[in-house]
Order: sequence, then C-alpha cells, then structure tokens
Amino acid sequence: MQKFFTLFVRYNSYLLFIVYCCISFLFIKFQDRELLTKLRTNGIEFSAFITDKMMSYNYVLHLKEENDRLMLINTDLLSRVLNTETAALDNRNRQKILADTTLNASKFIMARVVNRKFSDRENMLLINAGRSDGIKKDMTVLTPQGLVGRVTTVSEHFAKVMPVINTDFKVSVVSDKSNSMGLLSWNGGREFIAQIENIPISSSLKLNEQFLTSDFSSFSIRGIPVGKVVSIKPDKLFYTVEIRLAVDFASLTHVLIAPLKIEPEKLEMIGENSSGETFP
Amino acid sequence: MTKKYPYYISILFIVALVQELGLSHLTFYHVSPDIVTIFLAFISVTIGQKAGTSFGFFAGLLTGILSGNMGLNMLARTVEGFIAGFFNIPEDSHATTKQKSKRLYGAIVTAGFCANAVLVTGYNPLALSPAYRIFVLGFLESLITLILAFIITRLFLKKSLAG
Repeated sequence: MQKFFTLFVRYNSYLLFIVYCCISFLFIKFQDRELLTKLRTNGIEFSAFITDKMMSYNYVLHLKEENDRLMLINTDLLSRVLNTETAALDNRNRQKILADTTLNASKFIMARVVNRKFSDRENMLLINAGRSDGIKKDMTVLTPQGLVGRVTTVSEHFAKVMPVINTDFKVSVVSDKSNSMGLLSWNGGREFIAQIENIPISSSLKLNEQFLTSDFSSFSIRGIPVGKVVSIKPDKLFYTVEIRLAVDFASLTHVLIAPLKIEPEKLEMIGENSSGETFP
Repeated sequence: MTKKYPYYISILFIVALVQELGLSHLTFYHVSPDIVTIFLAFISVTIGQKAGTSFGFFAGLLTGILSGNMGLNMLARTVEGFIAGFFNIPEDSHATTKQKSKRLYGAIVTAGFCANAVLVTGYNPLALSPAYRIFVLGFLESLITLILAFIITRLFLKKSLAG
C-alpha cells in the first residue's frame, strides 16, 4: 500500500493527465448528448454575441469609410438608373413612332437626335445615322407629327439636319382644304411659328387650315404635315401667313428619314439643283 | 505560487476569449497564432506539469465551448499542458532569464506542435492531407505562435521570467 501511494505521488501528473484525457474522450463520445449540445450552443451564441458587438464597434469606428463606400455604390446605382431610364425613354419614343399608323415607318430610317445647335438665327440638328445607314444628302427628316427638316451633311455614322426653323430652309407647301400653295420659311424668333409666303390674296385660305408638303418640293415627299394657320395678314398682292409648326422642336428626340426622291428629269426640266427650293 | 491561481484563472478566461474571438480570425495560410499555447506553456514552465495539465484541460473546455468542439479541444489542450510540463523550471533553480525564455520557447513549439497533431487527427474541416496539416501547417503555426510569444515575453513576461 505504501508503495502504491509512493507511486501515485510520484506519477500523479501522469495520472492526472490520463484522467483528463479520459474525460476528454467521454466528451468526444457523448458530444451529441443534450447537455453538451446545449452547452456548445450557448457557447456559440455567446461567441456570436461578442463578435457581433465587436463588429458593431468596428462598424462605428469605420463609419466614414463605410459612408464613402456607400456613396460610391450610390453613385454607381444612380448612373445605372439614369442609363436605364434614358434607355426606357428612348424605347418609348421609338415605339411611339413605330406605332403611328399614318406613316409606313418600315420605309423610313429611324435616328436619334444626338446634338442640337440652337441660337437665335441658327438651328441645326445632329442625328445618329449616317452614310453607313443609308442616309444621303437632301433626304427628308420627319416625325409622325410633321416635317422636321432635311439632311444637309452626311458623315459615316452621323448626319446634319437643317430643320424647318432655320432661316435657310424653304419648302413648297399646300393647304389641305383650300389647296393654297406657298413657300414655307422661318424668319427667326419663336421656334414654333413659321411663315408662308406667296399665297395670293385671291386664295380662300382660312385660319386653322393645315399645310402639307407639296409635290412641287424638290426634296420632300408630299403630304407631310407642316403646321396650322394661326394668322393671316393681307398685303398688296399676297397674304402674309403665319403657321404653328406641327413638330415640337423643344422635345424632339427621335426622327424618321424618308427615302430620297429620285426625280432627275424633273430637276433637269426645272433647271435647278436639289439644294434649293423654288416657288411652284 | 498557489496564491496566484485565481489571477491565472482569470487570465485563462481572457486568453481563451482573445484566442477564439480575435486571434483565430487572423489566419495566415490556414493557420493562426495561438495565445492559449503561450499561456499554457508559461504555466507549465513556471508552475509545473500538473498545473499545466489542469489549466490545459480547462483551457480546452473554454475554447471548446466557444468554438463548438469541446472534447477534441480539451484533449489537445490537456496534451499541450502536459507536454509543456516537461520544460518546467523548478522554483528553486538558478536559471537565468535567457535560459527560462529558451525553455518557454521550446515548450511552446513542442507542445503546440503536439496539440496541433491531436487536433488534426480528430478534425479536418478543410479536407487537407493529415501529413501536410501536421508537418507544414503545424510548423507554420508554431512559427507564428513563437513570434507572438517573443513579443509577449518582451512586453509582459520579462519580470516573471527574471532569474
């Protein structure tokens, strides 16, 4: 017995080690028991709680960086929203033009107005369709609402359009009811009002009559609405007529480009090149 | 020395928390420094093997509760404390600080390596090969724990290890 106790005292650290190992093995064996599972679950919960608190302090400490990061995300999202909204608006405008039954849009080339130079005396549009899309000089530019202008310069992917509200623009027009013919021009000033010259006093033109492009035009196809008469002032021989243009140039986003009128014989007979417009 | 037990027990709690909630997240090539190993090696080297084994057992219990793997942690930490106990310096020894420090480092490397081997045999969450985990990752863990031990002895244990 004495010997056993001596051995025990001498090697008690080994015994202690064995006891602890046995307990550890018991823990491993019974680790799925309810008590141990509960203990483990509570431990993990406590650990998670502390980590969460630490993270929240960390969050407060790094609030500035977080704000900067969120601001960056916000900027990115804003640009995406703007892009999406622009695309949706473009699509709506495109659909609106295609849905218009008064025009056979399949023959036309559709383009978007990408730039606009507007001053008191000068007004030019830039569209995103060019030579590669089949655009040629002097093609008629229109919308379902009415005449926009004509193509003056064409590059590979873009074209410059001289709109109706340009002092150099002239087109032969005819009224739908009284068949009064005249020459449409724009003298500057308000962008929704244009003038029609050379309508004889003898014509039976009335207010609100609609003017359309006539067949006399050297570039424009006939029947495109131009505007409605808002004012008629008699002069010595002719009326001075003001019309309200059919197209709202302030909100112009998409246009159609009509195929070029090919009438070389007519031009030859008139003796006029296609860049100018003569009075019928 | 026994008067210091409550103090060491409270330190054990703090060390276990720091390890499980902080240092275990600082992984470098799948391994992280182990402050519990340093603490157990210090206890075993300065107090004795029995104390080291007992502290190891309870350290395993605490870290096991926090990590969710009790039995294996208890076993590994018990082995750790027990192995480190072989590097014990008796209280009446005339070892210099340098000698004590060397023993402490030896205890950390050896005990840490053995504990890692025990853990590897029982738990393999990354499905790495056991040989790789024992020898490569075990060596890496011992190395970074040694670096941490070097810093801790310089900052906090200089007085305790004074000759």
